[in-house]
Amino acid sequence: MPESRTLRLQRAMASFVLDADEAALEADPGRAARRHGLSGDDQRAFREQGEALRTYRELVRMSLVEPLEEMFPVLRALLESTELWDGCVQAFLDARTVRSGHYRDIAPAFLGWLAASGWGQERWPFLLELAHAELLEVLVARYPDADPPTGLHATPKPNDVIVLDPATQLVSYGHAVHRTTAAKPIPEATPTHLIAFRDAEGEARLMELTSATAALLVQARTRSLAEAAAALGIPELEPVLALLRDLHRDGAIAGFQSLENP
Amino acid sequence: MTHDRFTGVGLGLRRPHLEAVAQMEAHGVPFWETCPENVVGDGGRHHRLACAILDRDPVLTHGLTMSVGGFDAWDQDYLRDLGDFLVRTGTPWHSEHLCFTRVDATCLHELLPLPFTRESVRHTVARARDLQARLPVPLLLENITYYAELGAAEMDEADFITAVLEGADTGWLLDVNNVYVNALNFGFDPKDWLARLPLDRVAQIHIAGHKRFGELTVDTHGAEVIDPVIELMQWTLARLGRPVPVLLERDNHIPDVEVLLGERRRLQQAYNAALVNLEARHA
Repeated sequence: MPESRTLRLQRAMASFVLDADEAALEADPGRAARRHGLSGDDQRAFREQGEALRTYRELVRMSLVEPLEEMFPVLRALLESTELWDGCVQAFLDARTVRSGHYRDIAPAFLGWLAASGWGQERWPFLLELAHAELLEVLVARYPDADPPTGLHATPKPNDVIVLDPATQLVSYGHAVHRTTAAKPIPEATPTHLIAFRDAEGEARLMELTSATAALLVQARTRSLAEAAAALGIPELEPVLALLRDLHRDGAIAGFQSLENP
Repeated sequence: MTHDRFTGVGLGLRRPHLEAVAQMEAHGVPFWETCPENVVGDGGRHHRLACAILDRDPVLTHGLTMSVGGFDAWDQDYLRDLGDFLVRTGTPWHSEHLCFTRVDATCLHELLPLPFTRESVRHTVARARDLQARLPVPLLLENITYYAELGAAEMDEADFITAVLEGADTGWLLDVNNVYVNALNFGFDPKDWLARLPLDRVAQIHIAGHKRFGELTVDTHGAEVIDPVIELMQWTLARLGRPVPVLLERDNHIPDVEVLLGERRRLQQAYNAALVNLEARHA
């Protein structure tokens, strides 16, 4: 079945607003219509309305780029300092990875594209970590609301496993990306462990963890606290239990579950 | 499609105002309008505030990215969640834009114009009918602002909109600011234009501000509504001869909620004045 003219016109519009070569569009606005096999009349319509079509180019790009500028200020500062921000954005637009109709998903789509493409990471090995850290609190703050896990108790015991709140994220980076600023966007290369979670008010909070605590929070989700602490060479369990009580009180941990009576 | 609960001038519910609106006991807003894309599947503090308001006050829903005139398959998961949301809010209808927003699985997050062609009418009618069959409430389609015709047109915008509304048998969310902006950009009289359209299908009206950039006027939703657009709203209400709900949209340069509530009151006065004239005419 031949492609409908309506579909080809829509594809031509998408090319017009997203394609990289602005100079070529400026010189020949009918180019996008021609590339999609549209007739001379349709090509003429594109040529004659070139300026108005460029308004759409600006509007679409504004919609897709504003969330990136807002969510990734440090990454943007770093790339603008080397005049590579626009190139990065265009590479993202070329990949056409914005699938979701939720405006809030544009920035995560950019992060996903950065991870999949590896863009810029040969030059800046920390780039993906930096972008992830910039988005981390937003991802946690807006994690979809769901019913809390059930059958948990509030006070940790040695034979318990930890159940994190569904919105909580434990992350480990090779760089201290959470300490960067737009003025100082290059992070120190040092192992960094963070926990991001929602407090009782639903606001995101970020806390730096020692490597031992981070490892415990990972391991004690599948083995008992006592076992995990022993495996990590943590001699005293009480300080660990106190920290876990605090994390439960603050909302990072949903609760604790006994391995004996799950 | 007359719903007594939904008369007067409502306000688009926006994220910067959630905190204040959730705490207001008497805001005077007869109904809010919310975009499901901004609520469905979200979480956290702002989401909880939005849900509290939507559970408390009357709500209309207005979609942004369904791409009614597009070709991408519906997102079945989202459609299911949208249906649940529409039922939860108790909205009497759900509106979408008469446009396309997606091409080959990419969402462009902009309202793009459909070709004014017979083929495009047939396609959009079929899509709108299909979407309607999947929604738990009646579907309204909204006329958009457009800055260029997509390809060589076979008809004008008025004929295109009429053909789609009548072919799909849907109600019309009439955006009077969009009519005004299009009239400025394409040089026609907005009242003559409206007189050609099936006004009996109008179930709701949108009103908003716009801004001129050089030769082009853009539907920015970023400024106060100007008097000629308010007058067009009143003219439309008089022409309709019935009190359909009007919704004030503000999406850019969003002022404090008190400022927006003040603008809403000003529009409500204009709305009331139009209705008084209407009653006098019927008396």
